Parts: sequence; structure tokens; C-alpha cells
Amino acid sequence: MSTKTFKVKVKRQDEAASASYWQTFDVDYTPNMNVISTLQKIAAKPVTADGKDVAPVVWDCGCLEEVCGACTMVINGRACQACSTLVDELLEENPVIQIEPMSKFPVVRDLWVDRSRMFNNLKRIKGWVPTDGTYDLGAGPQETQEEQDLRYAYSRCMTCGCCLEACPQFTKDNDFMGAQSFAQTDYFNSHATGKLLADERLDVIMGPGGISDCGNSQNCVQVCPKELPLLTAIASVGRQATIYSIKRFFTGKK
Amino acid sequence: MSDSTVALAEPNSAFGKYHFLLRRLHSLSGIIPIGLFVCVHLFTNAQMILHTLFGVNPATGESYFQHEVNFIHAMPALELIEYALWASIAFHAVLGFVYIFNSKWNTTQYKYEANYRYTMQRVTGIIAIIFIFFHIATLRWRWDIGGFWYTPFWGHGGELADNSTIGMGDMKHVPMSLPYTAYALQFHWVVLAFYVVGVLAAIFHWANGLWTAAITWGLTITAASQKRWGVVCWALGIGLTFAMTAALIGAMTYNFKDMTVDQKTVFTHVLPQDQVTRFLGEGVTKADFPLEAIMEKAEH
Repeated sequence: MSTKTFKVKVKRQDEAASASYWQTFDVDYTPNMNVISTLQKIAAKPVTADGKDVAPVVWDCGCLEEVCGACTMVINGRACQACSTLVDELLEENPVIQIEPMSKFPVVRDLWVDRSRMFNNLKRIKGWVPTDGTYDLGAGPQETQEEQDLRYAYSRCMTCGCCLEACPQFTKDNDFMGAQSFAQTDYFNSHATGKLLADERLDVIMGPGGISDCGNSQNCVQVCPKELPLLTAIASVGRQATIYSIKRFFTGKK
Repeated sequence: MSDSTVALAEPNSAFGKYHFLLRRLHSLSGIIPIGLFVCVHLFTNAQMILHTLFGVNPATGESYFQHEVNFIHAMPALELIEYALWASIAFHAVLGFVYIFNSKWNTTQYKYEANYRYTMQRVTGIIAIIFIFFHIATLRWRWDIGGFWYTPFWGHGGELADNSTIGMGDMKHVPMSLPYTAYALQFHWVVLAFYVVGVLAAIFHWANGLWTAAITWGLTITAASQKRWGVVCWALGIGLTFAMTAALIGAMTYNFKDMTVDQKTVFTHVLPQDQVTRFLGEGVTKADFPLEAIMEKAEH
């Protein structure tokens, strides 16, 4: 076995309020590694390149197959999932792999960030289909294959935060909701039963931080790991908002 | 980890309540009053090249461009249009700056074409508003910027440098449209460069703004329709660039010897002698064009 190693530079932070700092690790190379397995190797031997014993790097992960969205990090400057980002490809662009936590979310520790802003936004837009009741609502209306295809694409969203990390409109200081919320708004508003809450969703999405704050940089479309049709979502919610605002102007009660 | 670190923000101010309306008015004000005006403005100015191509209109003794200017000046409620435009530009610019400061550009990290356009949209907006300000300040208010950007004429006529005996109203009856634009641009290459940069910025801002507005308002939803509308916006942008080029060629090639006698009178009496010599040739002075001639006309 060769003892080939590669360098990994990790941005660390001991707790939410403390300052961040960088540490470099030498990691033994094995074929077909991804960033999670790299972090596992660092956890097994938490010694920096200059021989100092340190606390193991903390990170968040779940499914390890790019479905749960928990392990989003900024790797070599781009937001992506640690589980599906391959070391061989990273080493091709740079001999040192650089790993940082997402910059738009509060850091809990090291690479682990608090993504609750996104989940709160899902609550705000009522990201569900209202089926609870005292009697059986029966089968829902039929949908065309085309509608199903679009909604299937929206359903792939895993609330990973890549779209928001790359978005110039989304900052820690403002209340912008971002592409993730808009895609889920279109997802549930285009559902035959989910439509029942469409106006309530639009009331939220037309407020501060809503759809009208989008600046059309379209980075979200480029970085989305699940390739959601985010520009279609933004335009579609924009159209719904246009129509709803005119309707509300003439028939609104408040 | 706390389960709810971000409060559910609700609209809590008047600004919040009208958030959507303000945003959409911002989009609309850029397209209709400002954008449409700039289109008409550039199309009109492009006709300055008609003078380069065909010279003076034998029927009127003036350049063909003058007809367009006279038409605009004869429009009813012209001042109302002017103030409405100023209001639109101020609204669009002030809100634009607020929106710029509420975001963070990241083209160094995310080098995508659309992301560069996002940044360019903001940069060109800033360039355009600075340009528009100086454009109006020099041509409309006759500010003297650094001694090299100065247009001492009105769209009609001019004002004497030593108007102690003659009221400024007297010379406003002499149309000066093409000469005064040509004078501003031929005066110094910096002015020409600023015009090229400023107008190109405005054209990009409008063409790209039209493209993104179609997404904002929900007109183009599918990727294919966005691409098609993109072609239309490109065509508009290129068309306006041609109009700008024609206008600049017209102004830069304008020969001041083509001015009418009345225009030469205003020109020689308003400008210092070195500029008169520069544009009308050696030996020409204001003594060759007595003021009395146009003052008599003004009285009738």
C-alpha cells in the first residue's frame, strides 16, 4: 500500500459565539473517497499537519446519499454536499482541499450549522397539503403527467441550503426567504389539494423577504444539487403574486 | 441547538405592508416611464446622423434633426412629463440603492454568466444615474464641470456671457439643438467617453432589466420562453446601441459652419473667442454677426 496523503484545510469554530480559525490535516489517501470519509479519517486521528493533538472536527450528516441535505458545506469555495463530493475530483482542481461551514447560517460548531431559518420558512409558507379532517376526503383530483413531472422535480428539494448559500440576496442580516421557499410554494400551490392554502402562502410570499426580493442572479439554479427548476418556480410564483395582487386590489377585504 | 433561532418575521411597518407594491413599482418605473423614454430619446437623437448624411434640409435651412426637436418642444404639458420623469428616476434610483445595500455580490466565488449580469445590473444602474445627473446638469442647467464639460446653450438659443444689456429671453428664439449637443461632445474627449460609457450602461440596465422583469412578473415561466425573451432583449439592446452610435457620429461629425446665421450669432456671442475660432475658423468673431438681427426677429 502506498502512503500517499493529501492536505485538508478545515475552517473551525469551537462554539457559536467564538471566532473561527483554520487547521490543516494530512489525510491518508484511499481511492474513491468522498468528503465525509475524509472527515471520518480526521475524526479517527485528530492530529494537525504540524503534529498537534486537537479536538475532532464536528460536522452534521444523515443519509450519506445526497437525500437528507444535512451535510452541506462550502468545499473549495462552492456550496455542496460532503457525501456526494468526491476527493479525486477536488484534488484535480487543487492539491489542498478546503472545507468551510456554510457562511449564511449560524455555526453551531466547526462545520455544523443551524439550518432552522429554512425550516421556519417552510412553516411560514405552509409547506404541506391540508388533508386532516373529521371524515375521509376521498381520492384527490387527477393530475396530468406534465404536472406530476414538475412537482416531482420540486419534491426532490432536501432543504440543504446550497441555493441560499450561493444567493447574493440572501444574507445573515436580512429576512430573504430564497429559492428553496419559492420552489416549495409552487410545489404545494400546484397540488390539486394543496391549492386550498394558495392565497395564504401568497400572503406570506409577497411580504418582506418574499418573492419580490429575488434579484435574479440565478446562482440557485446553478448550484442546486437536485437540479430543481428553480427559475421556473420563481417565475411561476411571481405570476401567481401578480395575479393575486390584482385580484386582492379589487376584491380584497383588508 | 435551539429549535427556532429565527423569529417568524411579520410585516410590522408601513414599508413592510407595501413591500410588494414598492418592489413592483420599482420594476415598472424602470420599464415604462424611464425605459420607454430612453428608447424614444435615443431614437430621436439617432437622427442627428441625418445631418452628416444629407446636410441641411433645403426646405427649412436647418438640420433634419431640428424637426424632431421642435416636435418634442411643441408637446403639451412638457414640464409635467419632465417632472414625472424626474420623479420616476428618483424613485427607481433611491429604491435601487436600498436594494443594493441589502445584498452581497459574490461573483468572485460563483462565476456564472447570470451572476455576472446580476452584478452588472447594479453597477450599470449606479453608472447610469451618475451619467444622467451630469447629462442633465450640463445640458439643462448649464453647469460647468471642471472647465471641460460645459454647454452654455439652452435647447433653444443661449444666454450671453455679459448679458447686462440684453435679456436672456432674446436669444431663446434661436433653435440650437444639434449645435449645442455637438458642442458638448466635441469639446473634450472625456465628455465623449463618458457618454459612451453612460449610455451603454443605461442600455444594458434596461435590456437586462426587461429580461429579468419578465421573470419577476411571471411572464416567462419555462426555460425555453426565458431564452426566447432573452433573444428579444438582446435585439433591443443592440438596436439601441446602433441608435447611440448614430447619434454620436452625428454629433462628432457636425460642422459648425453648417449653422444658420441666427445660430452663428448666438454661438459667437455666447462662447469665448478661442472656441469660436476653434469651431468656426480663424478670423470669425462676434462682430461678423450683429445681435440686432435676431433681436428684431424676436420682437415680431
